[in-house]
Amino acid sequence: MLIAMVVFGPFIGAAAAAAIGKRNEKAGEYAALFVTAVVLGLTLVLAGAAGLSLIIPGILSGSGLTFCVTGFRAVYAVITAIMWVGTTLFSPEYFAHEKENLGRYKFFVLFTLGAVEGVMLSADLMTAFVFFEVLSLTSFTWVIHEETWAAIRAGYTYLFVAVIGGLLLFMGLVLLEHAAGTLSFAELSTALQGKGASADSLAQPQVLAAGILILLGFGAKAGMFPLHIWLPKAHPAAPSPASALLSGILTKVGVYGILMTALYVLAGDYRFGLIVLAAGLITMLLGAVLALFSINLKRTLACSSMSQIGFILTGIAVTVLMGAVGEEEAVMTALSGTVQHMINHSLLKLTLFMCAGVVVMNLHTLTLDEIRGWGRNKTALKIAFALGGLGISGVPLFNGYISKTLLHEGIVEAIHVMREAQESSLVTISATTAGNIANLLQVGEWIFLFSGGLTFAYMCKLFFCIFVEKNRDADVQEKFDSSGRCMNGVSTAAILGSSLFMVILGAPPVTKRLLYFATGSGHILEFAAFTPENMKGSAISLAIGAAVYLLVVKRVLYREDSYVNLWPERLDLEEGLYRPALTKWIPGVLIAVASVFGENKVLAPVCRRGLAAAQSAAAVFGEDKVLTPVCVYGLKLFQSVCYAVSISTDSLILTLRHSVFREKKVRRAGVGRMSRMRMLREGTAEAVRPILRNFTFALLMTCLGILVILGVLLIAIVKINP
Amino acid sequence: MNPLFLLIPIVLPIFGGLALLIRPVENDIKRRILCEAVACVTSACVWAAALWMPHRPVTVYSFTRGFAVNFGVDGMANVFAVMISIMWPLVLLYAFEYMKGDEGSNRFFAFYVMTYGVTLGVCYSADMITMYVFIEMLTLVTIPLVTHYGGHESMFAGRKYAAYTIGGASLGFMAVVLTTMYGMDGIFRYGGSIFEVLDSGTMQLAFVLGFIGFGAKAAVFPLHDWLPTASVAPTPVTALLHAVAVVNSGVFAVMRMTYYVFGADYLRGTAAQAICLSLAIFSLLFGAVQALRERHFKRRLAYSTMSNLSYMLLAAMCMTPQGLKAGLAHMVFHGVIKICLFMCAGAFIHRARKAYIYEINGIGRRMPDTFAAYTLCALSLTGIPPLCGFVSKWQLLTAGMDAATEAAAGGAAGGTVSAILPYILFAGVAALIIAAFLCAMYSINISIRAFFPVEEKDLYKDSDVKEAGPLMLIPIYVFAACNILAGMFPGPILEILTAIGEGRL
Repeated sequence: MLIAMVVFGPFIGAAAAAAIGKRNEKAGEYAALFVTAVVLGLTLVLAGAAGLSLIIPGILSGSGLTFCVTGFRAVYAVITAIMWVGTTLFSPEYFAHEKENLGRYKFFVLFTLGAVEGVMLSADLMTAFVFFEVLSLTSFTWVIHEETWAAIRAGYTYLFVAVIGGLLLFMGLVLLEHAAGTLSFAELSTALQGKGASADSLAQPQVLAAGILILLGFGAKAGMFPLHIWLPKAHPAAPSPASALLSGILTKVGVYGILMTALYVLAGDYRFGLIVLAAGLITMLLGAVLALFSINLKRTLACSSMSQIGFILTGIAVTVLMGAVGEEEAVMTALSGTVQHMINHSLLKLTLFMCAGVVVMNLHTLTLDEIRGWGRNKTALKIAFALGGLGISGVPLFNGYISKTLLHEGIVEAIHVMREAQESSLVTISATTAGNIANLLQVGEWIFLFSGGLTFAYMCKLFFCIFVEKNRDADVQEKFDSSGRCMNGVSTAAILGSSLFMVILGAPPVTKRLLYFATGSGHILEFAAFTPENMKGSAISLAIGAAVYLLVVKRVLYREDSYVNLWPERLDLEEGLYRPALTKWIPGVLIAVASVFGENKVLAPVCRRGLAAAQSAAAVFGEDKVLTPVCVYGLKLFQSVCYAVSISTDSLILTLRHSVFREKKVRRAGVGRMSRMRMLREGTAEAVRPILRNFTFALLMTCLGILVILGVLLIAIVKINP
Repeated sequence: MNPLFLLIPIVLPIFGGLALLIRPVENDIKRRILCEAVACVTSACVWAAALWMPHRPVTVYSFTRGFAVNFGVDGMANVFAVMISIMWPLVLLYAFEYMKGDEGSNRFFAFYVMTYGVTLGVCYSADMITMYVFIEMLTLVTIPLVTHYGGHESMFAGRKYAAYTIGGASLGFMAVVLTTMYGMDGIFRYGGSIFEVLDSGTMQLAFVLGFIGFGAKAAVFPLHDWLPTASVAPTPVTALLHAVAVVNSGVFAVMRMTYYVFGADYLRGTAAQAICLSLAIFSLLFGAVQALRERHFKRRLAYSTMSNLSYMLLAAMCMTPQGLKAGLAHMVFHGVIKICLFMCAGAFIHRARKAYIYEINGIGRRMPDTFAAYTLCALSLTGIPPLCGFVSKWQLLTAGMDAATEAAAGGAAGGTVSAILPYILFAGVAALIIAAFLCAMYSINISIRAFFPVEEKDLYKDSDVKEAGPLMLIPIYVFAACNILAGMFPGPILEILTAIGEGRL
């Protein structure tokens, strides 16, 4: 019941709030806030009721909708609700000046809350998929909210990535269901056991294919390379509260799906681990580089999201790889790091995007040069943004530090384990493979540290640009400095409140308790955060970051007193590859193939091609004086016959139309006194005429068909009675 | 219940239509009441037959031995009959408003009602010959509907339609003759009734010809071209006949022939199966691509219909019980979706007097309800849960996968054909997904255009185009609601279809 209220309550709440909001705007806002607050309360209660489950049979085919509560699910349900409360508090002020389409936006925001909770609490992949599709489509309305052409174009991108991701996921689920016979998380791992390709823990090819499709499907929402294209476009276009949710929660929905697949479907398959690792590393590095180059506040944050998702995916990959060699402790380290980074990133992006929202609602622009120096006297905003920046960069004492350290430790442990496996040659994994994986992980560690450094660099870029440097135009700077309060009390409370999490979760005891609750493993409690070794990784990252900021950002990307975007525009996967592929290349090939057969006017092309084929066949016989002419002339004759047939049909129809079925002019004189018989006759004639007009042609076709039949029957009879 | 009761739903609409032809009713209201009454009574008879009729064929009239008119109900007939019996009265309401003020209304509604009876004839016929006769009749009865507007384009469409479907049916006739001669008696029995007298090659040829022939009605390549051309017909005709009744009778006939005359076991693993599968795969991709290319609203939907009909045939050609089930499921659910899509398109054409997709920009603001329903159905067609298109697509894919793995497992024993078959089936599954991508692009694109004008060109900012009237909207609402309901609770329908697929009903 509790679960049902959390999942389906927002659907009803959305409708109710929309209805109230239509009458009285203020009341509508309160209603929306009330709904989110109630959901938050309920999820907190849920957190105390782990083990609860709910099955709604009869909906959809098969097992129906199933939900359950575990530590991790409960934690994420609460985080989701917190995000919604935060953004709902912030929304009224943000939208104070643009009332258009606001009702639609609010309705779909609340509606999506239910769908997200549905995914987070789902106990089988089918339920997750259903709610996943729902939230994909409802969140589309966030992206196109402003209905400018840029927003609509971003919306197109978003929608097509969502739909394509959904279909890939769909295919993956079909394959998985076909292989395992179930989609329930609890039953999947047992159902797949013993179905492996051989004695080792590798899954059969079909399951691996299913896993990759599911990875791509959920990855599309998570912003995983190569389906990340929507992230940098959708975020600048969407309203800031929506960006916070898109980046903070919707990407996590995708990650949630990948994590569940990694844990329950392909837990011990190192091939899957390697694929996720590759995707994660590329996403991590590419996102960070894109963020560094970007000169748009929200685009930077969006690319940063992508990069952080890369960190999380790397954590998942290490979890899978360690599962493959059966190292439980290393699995738990990586898993804890993954979960913690998910939580951290949600809350971080909540704060940062709300800060960006404050900038937008005051200045209506996001370009760094234009907002430079604006925040010099905005203390509250400065603190919140600084906390966010420190958190995401992984500075000790803030939340990002713990999760990144856990992830880093996971990678280091994994390298260690793989090196050992290389020497001792385990059953599950060959020595060479282990060696290769270890090398790859080593590269991964470097990329990890380097990306961490880039994170620090681009956050420095943002922070110094907005809050420290002066605008290049002195008049503008003066106006900025003299501007008063930039936000009202509620928004300040929301932003500062959310930024407090950076500090709270930066304290190891709190985080450890939380992780213990989420993962249920006591291993994490022994984790020591501030050892010199752990500090070293962070220090390396921060040093790289500082160097990059001073050398690259200030020297290369900052020219003639303005930030420049040096990222080549042609390196855009969407414009360069996906759009042409989807709209031109693939249909082009299919159309080319189709047009060979497609434009058929029944007989003529068949004849033409038949003739050509026969001629080429005849050419094989070459000098044959008999066969060649027979082939050629026979087909020419056939062609002429076809032509004659069609000509005669047409002339027959023409003749009939001009003789028997000629349209007679109706005498208009005595319409009133028209005899009943005549009316009947003309009515019938009118009704029958179209049939008769087409009849001759059809009759001819029938005759031809019957001729064919007779011919074949004759052959058949001869065959039976030789 | 007297088995001859079955004649009532077949004959009543035919006579009703004839009566309207012979004694035209000039009063609009009277004609509406008459048509609606005939349709409703017929539908009631269909439901009565579905509920209480024993499942065995009845000979109505016997010409000679082996050549008789047989009717009967069974599960498959009921599914098709009940589906159209729900649709017909509702779409008639839509047609009343759409055809308001048209001069040829009498003729139109006469044939429209007659088509109902003939389609039921296809449903209830219990042997090949009867079915063949009704399929031919169906063509003849619907020609005046296609040519209704009477212009050059309509006449051409009518001629093309006749040529393709009658010509195709004459190919099908060969299958009819051969199965009647070398089968037991041509009466439908689950599992087929072919004696192994004739060599299998000829029978396979007969099957392929029958597939192409009856498939012509289902717009299977190479006899597909009539369907897009025929979309010049009034929208009630395209919606009900060229998206559901006529085209599904083609699919229905192919399914009957495959599972009830030849028998799936007889055909599984043969070259005939491979050829028919390839044809279906090709036409489903071809239809989807053409739909993407097409700029005309109704023609795009027509191509999409072509693609979706081939989904059903693809499933049916898997030659497994799940295949039949999936094909029937898609027949029902696609019917619900596509009829609604066409009605929305018709409402747009009727109100805005425009027909092309680039003329849609911004119409969503003027006709919000119509295009909301359109969007819902477009999503459903793509296969988004929890709408009904998802359910049938899931069935199709799992059926395809099952058949493919089965074929792969049994393929080692057979010759070349059975070695190729699994690949064709896997290709079919892949083609389904590709077609779904294309479907997302061509169908959702329209609703985005409608609500969020492309490149900020809102064509209807200052126009006075109004939302469609209630008679048009009611059926649209009903079918859109069916989409959600059938998607959320497909259990009972799927259970019935499973029973049919396994030959238990």
